This record gives sequence, structure tokens and C-alpha cells, in this order.
Amino acid sequence: MKKAVINDIKRFAVHDGDGIRTTVFFKGCPLKCLWCHNPEGITVKPEIAYYEHKCIDCGECAYVCPTRAHIVKCGKHDFDREACIACGRCTESCLGGALTFYGKETTVEELLPQLLEDRDFYESSGGGVTLSGGECLVQADFCAELLKELKRLGIHTAVDTCGFISKSALDKVIPYTDVFLYDVKAYDEDVHIRCTGQSNKIILENLLYLDSLGKNIEIRIPYVPEYNSDQIEKIALLLSELKHITKIRVLPYHNYAGSKYEALNIPNTLPNRLPTDAEIKSAVETIKSITN
Amino acid sequence: MQERFFNYELISDTDRSFIENKYHRQDMPFDAKQRMKYHGYDYDESTGLSDGEIMLGLDELAKKLDVEHHYTIKSELFSYILDNTRIDINEHDYFIGIYTWDRVIDKHTIDPWQKEAYAKATLAVGNSKRNDFAKSGTAWALLDFDHTVPDWESLSTLGFVGILERLENSYTAIKSSGAITEKQELFYKCAKREYEALIKFTKRLYAYSLTKSHAKAAIVSESLKHLCEGAPQTTYDMLQLIYIYFMVSESVEHYQVRSLGYGLDGTLYPFYKSDIENRRFSKEEISRFIAYFMMQFSAMGNYWGQPFYLGGTNPDGSTAVNELSYLILDIYDKLGIYNPKIQIKVCKSTPKDFVFKALKMIIGGSTSIVFCNEDIIVKALMRNGATYDDATLAVVKGCYEYALRAKSIGISFNTFNALKPLCFVFSGGYDNVTGKLLGIHTGDVSEFDNFEKFYHAYLAQFDYVINENMKWIYEAEKYINDVNPSLLYAATIPACTEQLRDANDGGIINVSDMLLNGLGTAVDALMAVYELVFEKGVTTLQELKNALDNNWEGFEKLRLRALGCKHKYGRGDKLSDYYACAIHNFFASHFIGKKNSHGDNIEYELHSALAFLKQGKNTPATPDGRYNGDEVSKNASPTIGMDTNGLTALIRSVTSMDLSVSDSGACLDCMIHPSTVQGEEGTDILYGVLNTYLSLGGASIHFNVFNSEMLKDAQANPDRYKNLQVRVCGWNVLWNNLSKQEQDAYILRAEKIIE
Repeated sequence: MKKAVINDIKRFAVHDGDGIRTTVFFKGCPLKCLWCHNPEGITVKPEIAYYEHKCIDCGECAYVCPTRAHIVKCGKHDFDREACIACGRCTESCLGGALTFYGKETTVEELLPQLLEDRDFYESSGGGVTLSGGECLVQADFCAELLKELKRLGIHTAVDTCGFISKSALDKVIPYTDVFLYDVKAYDEDVHIRCTGQSNKIILENLLYLDSLGKNIEIRIPYVPEYNSDQIEKIALLLSELKHITKIRVLPYHNYAGSKYEALNIPNTLPNRLPTDAEIKSAVETIKSITN
Repeated sequence: MQERFFNYELISDTDRSFIENKYHRQDMPFDAKQRMKYHGYDYDESTGLSDGEIMLGLDELAKKLDVEHHYTIKSELFSYILDNTRIDINEHDYFIGIYTWDRVIDKHTIDPWQKEAYAKATLAVGNSKRNDFAKSGTAWALLDFDHTVPDWESLSTLGFVGILERLENSYTAIKSSGAITEKQELFYKCAKREYEALIKFTKRLYAYSLTKSHAKAAIVSESLKHLCEGAPQTTYDMLQLIYIYFMVSESVEHYQVRSLGYGLDGTLYPFYKSDIENRRFSKEEISRFIAYFMMQFSAMGNYWGQPFYLGGTNPDGSTAVNELSYLILDIYDKLGIYNPKIQIKVCKSTPKDFVFKALKMIIGGSTSIVFCNEDIIVKALMRNGATYDDATLAVVKGCYEYALRAKSIGISFNTFNALKPLCFVFSGGYDNVTGKLLGIHTGDVSEFDNFEKFYHAYLAQFDYVINENMKWIYEAEKYINDVNPSLLYAATIPACTEQLRDANDGGIINVSDMLLNGLGTAVDALMAVYELVFEKGVTTLQELKNALDNNWEGFEKLRLRALGCKHKYGRGDKLSDYYACAIHNFFASHFIGKKNSHGDNIEYELHSALAFLKQGKNTPATPDGRYNGDEVSKNASPTIGMDTNGLTALIRSVTSMDLSVSDSGACLDCMIHPSTVQGEEGTDILYGVLNTYLSLGGASIHFNVFNSEMLKDAQANPDRYKNLQVRVCGWNVLWNNLSKQEQDAYILRAEKIIE
């Protein structure tokens, strides 16, 4: 039985494809986008997020921790990440809600009943299930098995991907995916490397491949001023050549994820400048004028 | 689709400002609970007496009538007011003015008669706990004068004059049969007196309108002339009639009118069609009349909101949504008001564009629209004996209550707190507010060695409270007709006229309404006992009792554990949902198939009105982590912030209950963050939520779309948010009218919305 590592399951997700959906957030991503708003999805290995401001120093975590990663000294909680084995016991006992476990192992059998809970809502709203992340296709075998089951049950499926995956991984899920939510972050390779740490060659190839197969593709372009904002026109020109784009969304960059970086003890790479409404409007207009 | 915006002015700023100040002055302090004590301006003294003079006149008349039957006293006092109150036909308004609108007959009628009836009921029961139940927030029991809907069909086809003629014809027929009783004679005489007074009042208004030469006078005169002569002839006549009936019933006769029309759209539509076909009035003119009509209710300041409903389905399956349904929503939207409030009778076949229009208004910030599931209304009412046709045509009244057209009237309105019996399990039946034994002794709680014992003790306490309070209600209801005869209302009802019998004297079905408050929090409290004491064993019942007795002081960790329990109502958690179903059905089982002292139905409503605050205030700390005095959950909704799995899970929890069991209504309140429903797709999402809720068996649902940031800004800058309203429970209030504490509670609720 295949297992996957996931971070969360979100019901009533309304921004991850059409209609009312349930989104599964898989753990692990091959890119390292500077503006990443789900940093808990970067590594595959389990992690503990510690939101210090929510800690009430109750000591419950220290009581259950098998490695003494949590200790309370002079009434003050201290978290030694080096000693933490991310078993997650502390998160279950935390009274203040300060500790969150990312990296639950799960199986298709465990996931399915949860994903079917909102089936009535999918049917009435044209929604379904979305696999997201991280990059869900890092765990492509599992995704394929899960998607196959969902399709067997008549559920609409969406795969939210950064596209930086092997063609063989993509091939595994293509037969069971109704729509791909496909991120295009930059057209120029150097810009892509600067922003995500990786080339976009494979990403663009995979995009063309999906289009050539006639798959429905919803394009998502994060708009990050001073990072990829000069790429809009070029991306639009590329998209204007494709035949199966169902929607193009410009996602305004936001920096709400700052506290997550701190909680995970990851260096915060979030850019400072937020896009203005005028910038977003202009980007949308540019894309419309080129792709229409 | 209808136009969303009007290319003509619905109401001039001057007229709008006049109506806004018609009932009370906007620049003066205002207490909504005393709203009828105000006057916006002084009326022409030559048209009648001042309030003071009217009250003196009533004192004198009441003295003379002292030994008479209550029908006689009430109808005489009613007539005196209509004969003598000052009136107005104003250049800024299409609707009449009646000056004395503070239910001044109460001093001589309801006030003493109710006191007397309550004393008799208490005496009959012997050691009644009713008053202590009320004081302690355990249960309220009250006779009901607040939920009538006259027969708009009779009123629209007969008018006041035709109602009187029908009454006279019935009297003649019964009299000639030789089998008339004294009570029938009395009913006839007094109902007739009230209608004669009403017609005389309308004639007085008509005569006064003839003395006016302003631009609206002629049109007002014509309409009043029609109403003096017979049935309304135009849309405007009908609106005027509804308004006059409303004011006279609500403000003089003391029977609240809890819906305007059989659907405002349904009742007005035949007139509208005729007006347009015969070119009596244009659509533009009719839109203006409706706008002025709406503004009356907006200005009146009725704090629980004046409802009317739209839409519905005809017994043949066709939709009752018509051109006017759209137009009324457009006018309402354009006026930007929150009172009156609108219920929309909806089912899967309701035209999508109509539902979309309402949803877009909600997304745009309107908080006064609630959807009521026709399928559940039909199921609920048919179980009580209604035919399919009657149930399909049922009225939505008040907040979200259902009733048959012209076939039932509420006689009592009672609210039970689902939390208090649970507190009695811990206290051995002793109440924290009164110090009295208001429950029963169900054993020493610390000795319960399994959850079953605790659960049984809870049900036993609840059973006791319900039965004890019902004894009093049973007795008190016997006197409803003595306390407040419903003559004006009864004469509109064909069955009452045919029998010459008052409505709440058995002329039609006399319904007792039982409200359940705090269901969600009661489930959470039960589940906390289950999880903390018996499932995880992290505490004992004795320790929990100590924690509750100390309002959690010194037990903060335990309180956090209680708040963090996994089993909470509103999360789609199966175990909690089963217990919610159990309590819901347990409560209902006390009334299903039972009869009140009138031999009629006892109905159940999963609705809290203001009890979630008021009864919560008197409820001590509870095992779910709630502090002493905090509010409890309202309606079918969960405890604030406990629905952490999102809206779909919340709907699963609510619809796990058979909501047709609450045969008088049930509502789910949802707060939705604006980002969830932005853009065209947002309306699709909300439509999907609504449709799923309906198909899963949800009853009423009320969406509020806003975020906590906006509310915080409104708290800091009240001047910038003078028009902001929020839904409290079945009705809206102006944000600025809430106390700081209430605003904080609302902000807290908004902060818990999951995006």
C-alpha cells in the first residue's frame, strides 16, 4: 500500500479550481521560490512549526517529548530543534495551539473517506478534489493511485503543479486529471533560476506537452514586483500559442506567510514589496490583450 | 434579468429624510425597545387629540367599561383611539400618518389581564417554577401576541369594507339558523365595532386628504377613497391597506403583524399586472410606491426587524417568483436599507437568476436576507396534518417561522436553555442564580463511573425542566383569549368569520411554540465530559465540578483542554453530530403528537432570538470551556469559533439532524469572509453552498459576508459606519447601537471565520 506525506487537507477550498473543492497539500517541492507562501511544503521530511507567540508555557509538550527537545526552564518553554525527531506527539498535547505538525503519512484508503465528505458540495458547485502542495507530483505514484480512485468514483480532479517534474511523473496522473492548475512563474530562464533556484526548461516543455494532449490547463501566474513582474508580456505571448488554456489567473503576491518561516525556523526569503492594485490590473490587461 | 439600477429617482432626498424622521427624530437619542413612545414631528392639532388627552379619555372609558367582557373593553378602547388620534397626509409621503401608536390600550387590557392570567396559571399549577426558570435563564414561558399574519387574501380581495360585510353576512346566517351563542354574538359585535372604527378612521383620512393640495394629495385621496368604498384596486391601494392594517394592528390593537402579504410579491402581483395592463400606474410609479412603503419600516426602528417574504412555489409546481419579486429586490438594494428584512422561500427549482440576485446583494453587504427551504417547510407542516397544498403555500413569518395561511395562530412563545439542565447535573439541581432547587437530584456527579450515567442524568434534568414549565404554559394558554382578544385579526380569517369565533379562542389552530436555545454548546459540553473524563481520563467529574464552580479560575489548563476537545458540534464530527441529533429529537419528543390546552399542536423551533445572550448571561461555566455568563450557541449554529473544519463541515453537522422535526423553523447562521465569495465565481460558490444545504435537508440559512478588520475599523470610527448593520439573531441591528461588549463578541465571531 503506497503512502504519502501530506501537510493538510482543506475542505471548502474555493480558490483551487472550479467550485467547492477539498484540497490535499502534499509535502515536498523541487523548487525554492523566494516568495513561497507554503514553506512547510518545501521539504518532504516531517517538521514541527512552533508559533512562539501562542505558547503559554504550560509544559505539556515537555511532558510527552521522548527526546527532551521541549523543556521548560524557569517557567519558560524552550524548543531545541536539533533534538527534535518530529514525532508530532507534542502537537497533540499543546494547549495553546503553538505547535503544528507537518508531514503526516497517509494512504489512499485513509484519504478517500475524507475527500468524499463534501461530495454533495462538489456536485452542486462543479467542484471536486485538488492535489496541491508543495509539489504533489513529487509523490506522483501515490497521486496517480488517488486520482484513479477519485475518477472511478466520478469526482472532478485537479492537479496544482509547478511543472518541474519528469514527463514520466506527469504521464502517471494525466489519465485521471480533469484540469491542471499550472504555475508559470517566468518565461526567461535566468529569471526563473533567480526566483526559484531551477531552470524553467522542463516546466515549459511539460506545459506544451499537456497542451498537445488536449488537457485542460488553468494557468496561474504569481505576480511579484521586481522579481517576475517584467515577465508578464512574454508569458502571455507563450500562452497565446496554446490551445487548451481554460483560464489564466494572476495571483497577487502576499507576505502573510512570514510567521510560518519563523515558526519553521527557515530563513525568510519573502520579498518586501507587495503589488499595487494598479499593477495587477495592468498585468491582467496585458494578458487579456495578448491572449484574446 | 431585471435592471439592477434605476434610471429614475425612487424617492427624493427630502422625502426620504422626512420618512426617516417620521417616527422618531434621527438627531435625537433613540431606544429601539421603546420605539413607539416617540414621535418624529407634531401632527395637525385640529385632526385629533394629543397622546395625553387620548390616555385620559381611555382612563375614563375604561372605568365605565370595567365590568364588561374583555372583547367589549378592547374593541371600545380600540375604537376610541382610531376615532380620536391625530392623523396626517403629508406632502413628503404616500402613506398616512397615525399619531397615537404606543399601544396605549395596554394599560387597561393586556397589562392587568395578563397579570391576572399568569397568577391564575401559577395558582393552578401550584409551586410553579415558571418565574424562577425565567429569572435563572433556564426557560421562559410567555403568551404570544407577536406572530400574527392576517389573511392577506381576504384583505386584498375584500378590503376593510368587504371584511365587515362578510362578518355581517355570517352573523345573519348563523343568527337565522337560531343556534347563535352569546359568545358568538359578542364576538360579532366587537369585531364589527373594530372594523367600523377602522373604516371610519379611513374615511377620516380620506376627508383630511381632500383638504390638502400638495402634489401627492390627489393620489393619496383616490387610494383612500377606494379603501373607504371596498377592496383595493391598485398596487398602491394594496400597499396603503397593508400599511394601515399593520399600524393599527401592531400599534393600537397590540398584535404584531409578522409578514407583509402572502409573499409581498405574490399579494401585489395581480394588482401590478392590472395597473400595467390598464395603464393605471407605470412600473416607475409602482417602484416609487414600493420604495416609500419600504422606507416606513426602515424608519420605524423596530429592532427585531419587520419581515416579509418573497418567492415560493405554487402547489402545481410552478414558481411563485414573478416580475415583482425581482423589482422588490432591486428597490430594496437601491434604497440600501436593512429593515424590513426579507425571507426568500427557495427550493431547487427557484429561478437561478432570482437566487443569484439575492446572493449578490448578500455578497455586496446586505445582511437582511435569509433563505428558507420550502421542502422542509412542507415536510414539517404536513406532519402536523397540513395538506400538501396548504403546506406549499405556507407563510414564513417573524424570523424564520412557518405557519399555514389563515389557519393557525401562535398562542405562546417559550424558550428552553439546553445548557441549564447540564449545569443541574453538577449542582444536584440547584440553580446558580436563584439558589433554588430548580432541577432534580440525579445523584452525586462525582460518583458517575461512566458517561452513560452522566448523559442519562442530563436528559432527566432536561425532561424535568420541560415538563415543569409545560405545566404552567398549559394553564396560562387557557387565558390567551381573555388576555388579548384578536378581533381585528380574526375577522380577516374566513374560518373565524364563519364560526364567529376568535382566532385564539379556537377559531383556527392555536399553536404553542417551543424554542430550543444553546443546542450546539450543550453538545460541546456533553462531549467535553465524554472526552476529558471518560475517553482520555485527563480529569475527573469532581475536578471538573470544582473547575466549573470556580469559573475555571485555577483550572486554566483544564479549560484549554476543554476548548481543544476534538468532538465539537459544527465540525462534521460524527459523534458530536449524533448527540446533537439526540438532543434535538429528545426535545422534540416532548411535543410531537402532544396537544396544548386548546387541543392543538405544540411546535418546536430551533431558534434562540435573544436568548443566546440573555439566558447565557445566567448560565454558569460549562464543561466545554465556556465561562460563566458567556453567550451560548444560537439557533442551529455551533458555539462561536468551534466550526473549525469550514462551512461544508458545518453544514454536515447541521443537516445531520432532521430539521423537519423542528416544525416551526430552524436556522443556520454563517459568517463568510469576503475573499471566499469575490467575483462572479464567488456567487457560484455561494449558490453551490445554498443548493447543497437545501438538498441535504437544511431549513433556513443566513449568510453574513464581512471580515473582522472592517468591524474593528467600525468600532474605532463609528461615524464612518453609521449604516453598518449586523445580524444578531433573526434580525439586524445597527452596529453603532451595540454595546462595546457586544461589538467585541461580534468581532471575536468574525475573527473565527475560516477563509
